Formats: sequence, C-alpha cells, structure tokens
Amino acid sequence: MFRGFTLILLLLTVVLGALAPTLAQDVIELEAWVAFSDHRYDWAVDTADRFNALHDDINITMVSVVDYDTIVNNYTLGREDGTYPEIVQLFDAALQFAVDSDWFSYAEEIIAGRDEVLGHPVDFDDIIPVISNYYTVDGVWASVAWNTSTPIMYYNVELLEQAGIMELPLTWADILDACAALQPLVDDGTISACASWPFSGWFIEQWLAQQNEYMVNNENGRAGRATEFNLDTDAYRAIAEFYRELYTNGYFIFEGQDQWGPPTQTFNSGKVAIMMSSSAAARAISEGAAATGFTLETTGMAYNQDAPGGWLGNILGGATMWISNGLSPEVEDAAMAFLLFFSNTENSASWHTASGYVPVRNSSIELLKNLEPGNELLWDIPSGARVDIEAADWYAAFPNFLTASTQLGNSTVNNATRGSTYGTFQQSRPYYNGLVEAYMLNGGDLDAMIAETNAELTELLQEYNFLFADE
Amino acid sequence: MEEIVYIVHPIVVTLVGAALGAVYFAFLRWQTQVGSLNASLVVGAIAGAIGATMLTAPLGYCMFQDGQSDEDVIVGWIMVTLGLLLTLNIGSVILWRYFRGQRLLPRGDTTPGAFRGRFGFVYAMAVLSPTILVLIYFVYLPMLDTLRFSTFLARFGAPRTRFICVSNFSRMLGDLDYHSNLFLSFALSFGIIIIAMSLALLIASMLNQPIRGANIYRTLLIWPYAISPIVAGSIFGLLLGTESGIVNRVLDLAFGVKVPWLVTVPAAQVSVVLASVWNVIGFNILFYTAGLQTIPKDLLESASIDGASAWQRFARITFPLLSPFTFFLIVTNTIYAFFDTFGLIFVLTRGGPTESTFTAMYRVYVTGILASDIGKSTAQSLILFLIVVGITIFQFRVGQRRVQYGNY
Repeated sequence: MFRGFTLILLLLTVVLGALAPTLAQDVIELEAWVAFSDHRYDWAVDTADRFNALHDDINITMVSVVDYDTIVNNYTLGREDGTYPEIVQLFDAALQFAVDSDWFSYAEEIIAGRDEVLGHPVDFDDIIPVISNYYTVDGVWASVAWNTSTPIMYYNVELLEQAGIMELPLTWADILDACAALQPLVDDGTISACASWPFSGWFIEQWLAQQNEYMVNNENGRAGRATEFNLDTDAYRAIAEFYRELYTNGYFIFEGQDQWGPPTQTFNSGKVAIMMSSSAAARAISEGAAATGFTLETTGMAYNQDAPGGWLGNILGGATMWISNGLSPEVEDAAMAFLLFFSNTENSASWHTASGYVPVRNSSIELLKNLEPGNELLWDIPSGARVDIEAADWYAAFPNFLTASTQLGNSTVNNATRGSTYGTFQQSRPYYNGLVEAYMLNGGDLDAMIAETNAELTELLQEYNFLFADE
Repeated sequence: MEEIVYIVHPIVVTLVGAALGAVYFAFLRWQTQVGSLNASLVVGAIAGAIGATMLTAPLGYCMFQDGQSDEDVIVGWIMVTLGLLLTLNIGSVILWRYFRGQRLLPRGDTTPGAFRGRFGFVYAMAVLSPTILVLIYFVYLPMLDTLRFSTFLARFGAPRTRFICVSNFSRMLGDLDYHSNLFLSFALSFGIIIIAMSLALLIASMLNQPIRGANIYRTLLIWPYAISPIVAGSIFGLLLGTESGIVNRVLDLAFGVKVPWLVTVPAAQVSVVLASVWNVIGFNILFYTAGLQTIPKDLLESASIDGASAWQRFARITFPLLSPFTFFLIVTNTIYAFFDTFGLIFVLTRGGPTESTFTAMYRVYVTGILASDIGKSTAQSLILFLIVVGITIFQFRVGQRRVQYGNY
C-alpha cells in the first residue's frame, strides 16, 4: 500500500514537473548577467524590477558574475553546454571576440527599423555619437550601451595644498612635480606616498591612445583585421619610463596587477594624495572622501606632455549589453525592450549618479542639468532605493561627475582613440601590463623586453586569426 | 598519393622499442632466473613494440615526419619512453606471475557469498553502474578530450581547429617562462608540504594532550580546510595589502615598518606558501589527530617506564606508527599544492610580482580559462598530470618501504 502511494506521488511529481514550463509559458523568463556585485548591482536589480512591473508577461532576472573577465569565460563555457543567459554584459576587450564568435544578435537587426519595441522608444540619435560609434560593427549598431567610463584623476585637495600645490596636476610632469613637493608629507608620516592606483592594462591602452599610437596594426584593427602587435613604439616606452620614475622615486605604491580595491582604500583613507581610476568609481570615491573628511577634486587622465600631439583624446571604456542569438522573436523583443528601458533617459541619468558611468544619452545630461523636485534619480546606497536629487543642476552641485563626460566630449575621434580591437585582447593584457610592471620594479633592457613580448603577442594573435578569421 | 618522408621511420621506432623490450626482459630473466629465456625475449619484444608505438601511432607518427622541428622529434622519443615504461612494467609483472604460476590478478579481500550466483555479476554491475557512468562521463571522457585537444590549436567558440601534432608540447621544451613556472611549482609545493605537515603534527600532538576545551580547539583548527582556496586568498589579501592590510597596520603601529607582502620577491612567495599552509593545515591536523589516537597508550607508558625520554618516545614510537598517515598526507598535500592553489594565487597575487608566483597550474588556468587557449592549456595540464603521477609513484616506491602498517 505504502509503495503504491509513493509511486503515485512520484508519478505526480514527474507529470507536474513536465507541465510546469507549459503552465508558466505566458511569462517570458530572461536572465541578464552583469559584472557587478556592489551597489551598482543593486541598482541594476531595482531597474529590472521596475521593468518587470511594467510588463506582466516578462520577467528579467539579474545575475551577478564576479568581474568582466569571468563573465566572458562563464559565457564562453556556457555556450559549450547550453547554459547561457539571454542578455550578457561584455566589456570593451571582448568586442572582437563577441563579433567573431557569432553568438550574438545585433541590436539594430533586432529593432529592424522600428521606432519602438514593446512600447519603449528606440531614439538612436539621442545616444552620444562617440559611444554609439565604438560599438558599431560593420556599420551596424551591435550592442546596447549601458556602462561607459573613462579614466580620470582623483585628488585629495587638502594634501596638495599642504604641499603648496594650488593647481591640480594635468600631465605626467605635473604629477612628478607634485610628488616631489609632497615628499615632506611622506617623510613626516602624514601620508604613505604620493600616489597609488590600480595597476591595470586599461591605463596603458588609454595612454597609447592619448599619444595617438596604435596597440595593433591595421590602425588598431579598425581598418582591417589586426595581424601584428605594435608595442615597439616611443609611446609605449614612455609609459614604462613614467612608471619606472614614479616607482624608483618612491612616489607610487604598487599593490599588484589588477588589484582595484587596495589603492582605492588607500586613497579614500587619505594616505595618498593622487589616485587614478575609472570614472565609474566617482560615486564610491566621493563617499569615501566624505567619510574621511577631505575635499575631492577630479581632472582628466594625466597625459604625456612630451607626446608629439600632446593630448589627443581617451578611449571609451566600460561595457555594453549583448543579446544572445538563436532566441525566438518574442524573447528577442523582450530582451531588446528591456535594454531600451535600461538605457532610457531617466535610467541612464540615475545610473550615472549611482556610479559615475557617463550618461549615454544627450537627453540624460540635459535632464541632470534641469532637475525638478520629484525626479527620483539619485541612488541612495544605504537604503537601496532611488531618492530625489535635491539640486537643480546635478553637475553644478557635483562637478566631479562632469569630468568624464568632458574628457570624452573633448576627445578627437580617430582610430587611435577608438581603441584597438582584436581577438586576443583579454589574453594579451597581462603581457603588455606585465612588461611595464617588470620594468617598473626591476628595470632592464626595455627594447629587448618589448621585442620578445611583441613577438609572443603577435604569434598568439595570428593563431587566433587562423582559427577565427574568414579564409 | 604523396609519399610521407620521415626523419625517423615508424619501423625504426617499432624496432627500437622491440629491441629495448627484449633486452630488458632478458635482463629480468637473468636476474630472477625464473621462466624461459625465449618466452622472455618474445614477450619483451612485443611489449616493447607496443610501448614504442602506443602513443606515437595514434598521431600517425607525425612528430617523426620531415619538416618537424628537433623539439618535436625529442617529444616523440619522450612519448616512446613513456609508452615503454608503461608496457614493459605491466608486461613484466604479468609474464613473471605466469612464470611463477600465480594468478594474473591478485585475489582481493572478497567476502564469500557476495554477488555470487547466476546473476551475481549482472547484479554487481547494476549496483555499480551509476558510479561507473558518472565516472565515464565526467572523468574519463573529458580526459580523452584533454588528450585530443593537446594536439590541436583550439579555442573556445572558434569555428575551426587545427591539428598541430606535438607542437603544444615541444613549444614547452624551449619555453624558459614555462620552466620557471614548473620550478616554482616544485619550490612552493615543497615549502607548503614541509611547513603544513610539520606544523600540523606539532599542533595535533598538542591537541592530543589532556587540555580543557580540546574539542573546541580541534574544531577551530580544522575549519580553514572547509574554506575554498579562493576565499582563503581573499582573506589573506585583506590581511597582507601593503597599505590597506591589517598585518601592516599592526606592524606599522608596533614597529613602524610596512612589509610589501604581495608585491616583492620573496615576500609574495612566502605569502602564497603561508596562505596555502593555513588553508590545508586543518586537513593534516584532522588526520594526525586521528592517527595519534590509534597509538596504544600502554606502548608509550612502558617505554616511559623503561626510561625513554619524551623525544625518544616521539622519534621511536609515535612518528614511526604515524607513518601511514604521514605517507597519505604527503601524497594528498602534493596534489593540493600542485593543483589546488591556483585559485588562491589568482586572488592574492595574480602570479605576480613579475611572475614570481606564477605556478604551472596557474599557467594552465590562465591559458585555458582566461585566454580560452585550450590546446596549449590541455598540453600543460597533461605535463602536470604526468609529473604528479611520477611523484606519486616515486613516493609509493620510496614510502612504502618505510611505512609501517600492521598490528601492534
């Protein structure tokens, strides 16, 4: 008797389990992977909930994945066994791979000329051109811009003033001068060193662009598929020498490759005067500065004053949202509608206040300059909810948040500042960053180091091209 | 059809294997004075021929073809050697068991009556099949894939792959970076094993004393092992940051110094070893505590009545009786140090500064997962696999003679 009952129960479970998907079929379930886990993830979840509230038949679930690199790896492995999300956030370094892999449907092709998708307006012209340009592949708008950033400098104004520096440093030479002036504060134990920032390959890419130099041939892979590395340049050498000078003089605290947390903590606690980071950290660093009680000011990323053309411009950084291919038209539309909502005027403005990422729409900047009560745009980190921005002009009240937009707006757009695109981007970063690290720490024969690394990276790139490029 | 030109012809390879096999078996025959010489020669030649070709033939002897580099040919001969080691060892064991009239497989401790009868075998297989299927699907088939991929230029998501014979391996022969990764793996592993085991033995001995709250200490001491290496790395990252780390904060307040733990040599290597030791030591303490409890008290008491000092009791009684545990721990710690520390390194140092903590397993992870370069990374992982198999065999050979099992 008991056995029979168990059997019936088991059968019932199986049948119900099989039926469940069909019963719930009227709701389209979508997963979106993003590379955040702090308050920026909370913002994304909140915004997805807002979208879900508008659409009874769509449910977007946000999934937090460790970081940019991991998200690409997990998605790649997921493609092998069929467990990948409908929407994925991919960073700039994965652009070529995203194109080559043939795993994504392009936004413009999904939209197919419509003015709106499920009630969410497209309004492509509103997106800031430098941003839409970056993610346009073969003339087609491929992914949806969401978090766009650029490196900027962060300064502890009181410390600089204590050292007698009244103007914020703008160039490498300014930084070295400021560090020399700050040395007495280091000696008397007020601060630990002049500067610290994450030792990231991203900054090297940016500094090459500023000096109008390419990372790879064929104009950074923008005029044709890149086939060779281009490290043997004065611009790259200058970067290595700058780091070496900072380090050997004891101006710079090195905390290891790609360690973003420790330098930020050091700066936030007032133990160094100068820090470089993504504009995306503007909100977190503002909070840190306020907590420690110092005045924070920002400028554009310091540049090489000796470069032939001076400062040319910076590359757009950050990531965009890609839609997996092979989805049904309904699911594709749901994903597209969500991304349009996610990056609409209000949400893009709110996202900017939550992080420091540049608003991707002109209308968002306008909105932030002409605020009215009841705007509900400011992300309140402790409560995890949107509250009103009380100022009438966000940028007037928080000028540090304007620096990134200004830097990108003033950038000359050419194939150096559009940034490089090639298949082994992720793989190569630790090489050209590691070379500068090795030279900074130990010195050595820079030319020989460059020749060796350049050859190695070229070989990897050619192997990649052999496997991916059209024959 | 185009004729393939060989640098070393497959027939030569086969003959060399056969000759070596015959000579080795003849030598064994002379040494043991058991069995017939002719049979030894014939079986030895067959085993040798199989050994020489078993790894090279599936690749079509490509490494011996014209146009391959010297390194490829060297890798080819290494493959011949590995094949020979395998077939000659197995072959000699089987042949001499036959010569001595023994069963080919030693009879295990089977309980009489289990799985006997007409459907005994079927029933046994039915019971075992879930495990076997899981093992086949999740362990053995991926291993075959690893073997296959190691001969390819391949990347995740790529529309095509390319067979490149043994280039992934021969490239490593001349790659000085890889050699230093390997050397580092040995050096760090050695440090981890020595410190983790001696410290564990010390702590376990202390725990074995009648002290109040021993159970609490025991639990607290074991829990680091329950933490994954990644998390252990994060914890040590918070502790050891140059400016933001807690350790330097304390050192600075107490002595006015800050140690750049993670960004200078050899401090970074020491940090990786210490973090790994902390991570694995709970496991060792667990086994040593269990081991110490198996040592009969009366033995130690009588030794002490006979006037043996505490050190003598430890060196002459406790340590030898713990040898099965020590042996087991050496094997498992070797595997931990070689294969499981990469997550910790990833979080703690990213292999830096200047690749000074870039172990061979971390290289496998970086190449295969971070860079999707699966051909190279599978080749690297096979090298590591062979090294650990080699170490383990060595440990069994050397260890077993000194390990004392048995009844006391």
